[in-house]
Amino acid sequence: MLGLFGTLDVAARSLSVQQEEMALAGQNVSNANNTAYADEQLEVSEATPVDTPFGEEGTGAQITGITDTRDALLDSQIQAEASTSGSLSAQQTNLQNAEAYLDEQVTSSSSSTADDSPNGLAADLSNLFDSFQSLSNDPGDLSLRQTAVQSAQQVATQFNQVSTQLSTVQADLNTSVQNDVASSNQDLSSIASLNKEIVAAQAGGGSADQLVDQREETLENLAGLANFSTTTQANGAVDVSLGGVTMVSGGSVTDQLQTYTDSSGNQQVQAQNAGTPLTLTGGSIEGEITARDGALARLQSGLNTLASQLITQVNTVYSAGYDLNGNTGQDLFTGSAASDIGVNSNVANDPTQFQAAGAASSAGDNTVVLALAQLGGQKIAGLSKQTFSASYAQTVSDLGDAISSVNDQLSNSQAVTQMLATQRASTSGVSTDTEMTNLIQYQKAYEASAELVSTLNQMMQTVVSMKSS
Amino acid sequence: MHVTNTSFSNNFLYEIQQLESQQSTLQKQSTTGLKVTLPEDDPSVMNQVLNLQTEAGANTQYQSNITQIQDSATTASDALNSLQTLVEQAGEIATDANGVTSSTQLSTYATQAGQLIQQALQIANTKDANGNYIFAGTDTGAAPFAAATDSSGNVTAVTYSGNTSTAKSEIASGLTVTAQIPGENTTGSGAEGLFADSRTGADIFSHLIALQQDLTSGNTSAISSTDGPNLTTDEDHVVTQISGNAVLQSTLEAAGNVASQNATSIDTQMSDATSADMATTLTQLSQTETTYEAALESGSLVMQTSLVNFLE
Repeated sequence: MLGLFGTLDVAARSLSVQQEEMALAGQNVSNANNTAYADEQLEVSEATPVDTPFGEEGTGAQITGITDTRDALLDSQIQAEASTSGSLSAQQTNLQNAEAYLDEQVTSSSSSTADDSPNGLAADLSNLFDSFQSLSNDPGDLSLRQTAVQSAQQVATQFNQVSTQLSTVQADLNTSVQNDVASSNQDLSSIASLNKEIVAAQAGGGSADQLVDQREETLENLAGLANFSTTTQANGAVDVSLGGVTMVSGGSVTDQLQTYTDSSGNQQVQAQNAGTPLTLTGGSIEGEITARDGALARLQSGLNTLASQLITQVNTVYSAGYDLNGNTGQDLFTGSAASDIGVNSNVANDPTQFQAAGAASSAGDNTVVLALAQLGGQKIAGLSKQTFSASYAQTVSDLGDAISSVNDQLSNSQAVTQMLATQRASTSGVSTDTEMTNLIQYQKAYEASAELVSTLNQMMQTVVSMKSS
Repeated sequence: MHVTNTSFSNNFLYEIQQLESQQSTLQKQSTTGLKVTLPEDDPSVMNQVLNLQTEAGANTQYQSNITQIQDSATTASDALNSLQTLVEQAGEIATDANGVTSSTQLSTYATQAGQLIQQALQIANTKDANGNYIFAGTDTGAAPFAAATDSSGNVTAVTYSGNTSTAKSEIASGLTVTAQIPGENTTGSGAEGLFADSRTGADIFSHLIALQQDLTSGNTSAISSTDGPNLTTDEDHVVTQISGNAVLQSTLEAAGNVASQNATSIDTQMSDATSADMATTLTQLSQTETTYEAALESGSLVMQTSLVNFLE
């Protein structure tokens, strides 16, 4: 038998259990909108019973611990998806920048009006060959010569501009890789120090839920930058390895990410201590590298090939021609790539030096300028047997393909992220309605326990007054 | 499924954003009338559009080339017809002079022949609208024919300083034509010369000069035996050139028709490739709008509701 005092003890324990439940409900409600927070629940069990002549008798309730409702599998799926999204968003943003710089847009569904408006290289190339055609009709005409030279200058300028802008995108990507590597290293050291605190807290038998929440937030942030694999140790620490190299082991950072410059001047990533290049498969660092070395590099090389073929093919035909003064042998285009293509300054300053004729002193000879005009429709061996325009259109649509595929994947990844977030919110999230209902339960239980104390008090007074009366 | 505070608002926001993005896409399509604007929207359509724009540009250029050559061909045609009339007149003089013994009469004929030579010189140095000599081959900058005269002002020789080349223009992919006719071609190859060509035996200026000189000297037998037949050869030669010019003009007209059909077909292809189907777009837009409004309405109702509201 517990006796009056024993029962008073039960009531007191009950009060403190209900109070604790209330406190936890308060904690849950205040974190209702914190996505990284996992709903916490008090573990309450029956207190150790005592043996009585009538059998075992309960001694009330006791708190055995606080658990959070974290689902480790769901967390790791969310981390993996964060890496996928991180990579794809980085690719999307940067490739869309490149797309904008190309300035190839459909502005009208009519080909006739569309001809006036486009600003991109496609229109400039088309104008170049058209201006050669016009000149071939009247090869001696100075204003037509001027137009042809200006068209050539416009093509060169557009190549230069696009090339510069794409180099800017490339430089931005390299800077982003460096920044993301720095952020990743910060996350790694945060994870290590959180591991240390979690191990220490749990070793003392305490709860480290808040620290675990924080670590999860940091892990998800890191996942957006670089994908990793984790191993959870028995003591609660999480080991992190990136690209097969262990970076965090328990409470210490064993290695870090480091950028290095590769042979083409781009930033790549390696493990600092191990010194090995890392192949990441997700996260924004990988996305930046993939965009830079993939679609962007293909775009740049496509433009460079186009420019160098244009320079060679046009110059080969042009240099055999004669200008109005009977001179021959000059080139129309200078340079060798998209970045440095230009127009020979002699002809730029003096259109009479345009070598349109196939023979000296024949103002009306258009052999060379006609051959130049016809180059526009020729399939060039160095451009995979495509015309200049078709090759450029292919380059543009290749970039479009790359972006379109990233868009689709990103949209899928966002849907998956959303689904996982909903699942996590469902298992680990806080429902205020549930908490409010619980509050009422706890309040009633608290009231009942208080009633018990007050009843016991009366009973004790009765006992005491029995003696005094 | 256990619905929690964040799960509801997360889902709600995601759905709303999806609807907004759909709306914005459909809205853009309905205002521009285009289903594709950027390469990423549909790369293969973009490829097609760029190629069609190039094709349209080239086609417009062909049309302009055709118009220019038509102008030149018309100028050439006028000159050729005048030249034919002139050679015919010279032939008539040769026929009329046959059997005439009156020196006065012959000298009148000689004067007429002299006038014809001057006219022929004018035709030979015809310029087109751009100021280029059309019977100079490709040496279009300078007058191709120059006459040498004797003390009495009669032309004794006409020299050709042009060349035997012609400048061709493209009127369709790979198809080049020219309205130019070299003034003379005695090389035996290339385009036939108009005033003289070694292959047909035509030599208009020499034959006109010979006629005038024979008329002046009263050598009527030479006129009937040599000058008359020579001028007939010349006329036949000019007639051949006229029919060549007519063939060219009909070629140009055909090419012009093809080019304008091409323009229409390119336009149609362009429109097919890029135009948004307005009926579908607008229907979808209105559906999306309805869904969006419903989502907002229901979302705002549900989000306001909480057990807290009902607890005292």
